[in-house]
Amino acid sequence: MVTAQQTDNVKQDTPAAGCRVPYRVFTDRQYYEREQENIFKGECWSFVGLEAEVPQAGDFKSTFVGETPVILTRDSDGGVHVVVNRCAHRGALVCREMRGNRPSLECVYHQWAYDLKGNLIGVPFRRGLKGQGGMPGDFDMSQHNLRKLRAESVGGLVFASFSETVESCRDFLGPIVVEQIERIMCKPITILGDQRQRIFGNWKLYAENTRDPYHASLLHLFHNTFGLYRSTQTGKALMDANKRHSLLYSIAASNDDAADKQAYGDSRSFDTEFKLQDMSLLKGRQEFADNVTLVILTVYPNLVLQQIQNTLAVRQTVTYGPDEFELVWTHFGYEDDDAEMQAIRLKQANLIGPAGLISMEDGEAVEIVQNAIVGEARATSYIAMGGGQADDADHLVTEGAIIGFWDNYREMVGFDLEPT
Amino acid sequence: MSNKLRLCEAASVKDGEPVAAFAEGMPALAVYNVDGEIFVTDNLCTHGNAMLTDGYQDGDIIECPFHGGSFDIKTGAAKAFPCQVAIVSYPVEIDDGWVCITKPEGAA
Repeated sequence: MVTAQQTDNVKQDTPAAGCRVPYRVFTDRQYYEREQENIFKGECWSFVGLEAEVPQAGDFKSTFVGETPVILTRDSDGGVHVVVNRCAHRGALVCREMRGNRPSLECVYHQWAYDLKGNLIGVPFRRGLKGQGGMPGDFDMSQHNLRKLRAESVGGLVFASFSETVESCRDFLGPIVVEQIERIMCKPITILGDQRQRIFGNWKLYAENTRDPYHASLLHLFHNTFGLYRSTQTGKALMDANKRHSLLYSIAASNDDAADKQAYGDSRSFDTEFKLQDMSLLKGRQEFADNVTLVILTVYPNLVLQQIQNTLAVRQTVTYGPDEFELVWTHFGYEDDDAEMQAIRLKQANLIGPAGLISMEDGEAVEIVQNAIVGEARATSYIAMGGGQADDADHLVTEGAIIGFWDNYREMVGFDLEPT
Repeated sequence: MSNKLRLCEAASVKDGEPVAAFAEGMPALAVYNVDGEIFVTDNLCTHGNAMLTDGYQDGDIIECPFHGGSFDIKTGAAKAFPCQVAIVSYPVEIDDGWVCITKPEGAA
């Protein structure tokens, strides 16, 4: 029996401002499966890697689009390609290494071989042995290539799509996202390394988290305490025309401690008396002319491109089910970084990633939601900070971009699947 | 002493059906008939561990059974993936109806 109290927060008769998302979208496998079809294999572009990860002909990287394993390759003409990592023969992973360099891709099971574009070029015992066995006479190699995705590079970020009908990647991203990608990818980069993080929660909780400037100054004590990010700073929360993607940015030098003291009062997450014994972690360089010190560019559905102080990184979401995803952080700098700049980036890498002084709390935030909504078929969240609409804001106390995400999600997946 | 090696009777080699041949001090050999003309190459593929005489002859191309790579029978040149290294080919002499090659200098 459902009591009035239990249904209280799903009442739809008062259509007040604000967005309500049923918690079952984070736990019910039906939604997960629909997302794989309609988002990751649907009318979307997913981030798969940086061109700088596959600089030479023959370089490859195994990764994922949603849950589907794919391979990013560089061919001998310099082009990048993305193919499904599944042999056209009997479905084995063709590529079992995370990275490498090969002239061709060869499945270990029966040694079917493919070129770097995914075309089948070799089938052992195709004509049998001494005339016995072999493939049927009408076997046509050209009909058995690896499944090829569309692949496009924007500013050195490679995106792939299963869809033949989706708009070009640049159009999918829109001018705000392209401009921000080009701001960070303004010169040749050098990869510093990966960090990988399994988070036992639904991937969409992270999509919300990275569209949420409101939490950053409340959850992240380090951020706030040392003035890297406060809601009192000059910043904006903007979206593309379709409100799929989100740009959050702030300027750290735009506030002062006295005014902040007044704004935050005695809040738990604000104490200007804290000091680090070694302050070198916070000594970076101003490297962008616009003075922006924090950019969280969240690209639907699976990418964050970030600048936090002098850390530069992409974060890719890989889904493993309704309640598990992996976050792959690829840190990078610029080819022309001097030794000191490289040292700054490496030291500041302590701010981000799975155990980062800032970022560790986001993984935890995702998991405490997942743990609390388990088995909940009816209740919803309530998202209204900043006005309850998918609106841009010239401040940081908003959840508008989260609503933008859900508006798109509702269109592509829907909220109203029958409970399984 | 002659270095001429007799491999097999030319008449026993049919177009499209290469024949394995063995001669002392030589690697395994393959004898082909291409349109009535006889050719000899090494038999072991330069890529995988397979005998070309178990493969498929298509005109002057021999396709390895193992991975489907191929060689030009007349020159030994590698023709298709994954074969990249040419196979050794030998000048042929027909002597009294026998296929013969000259044992290369330095062969054991």
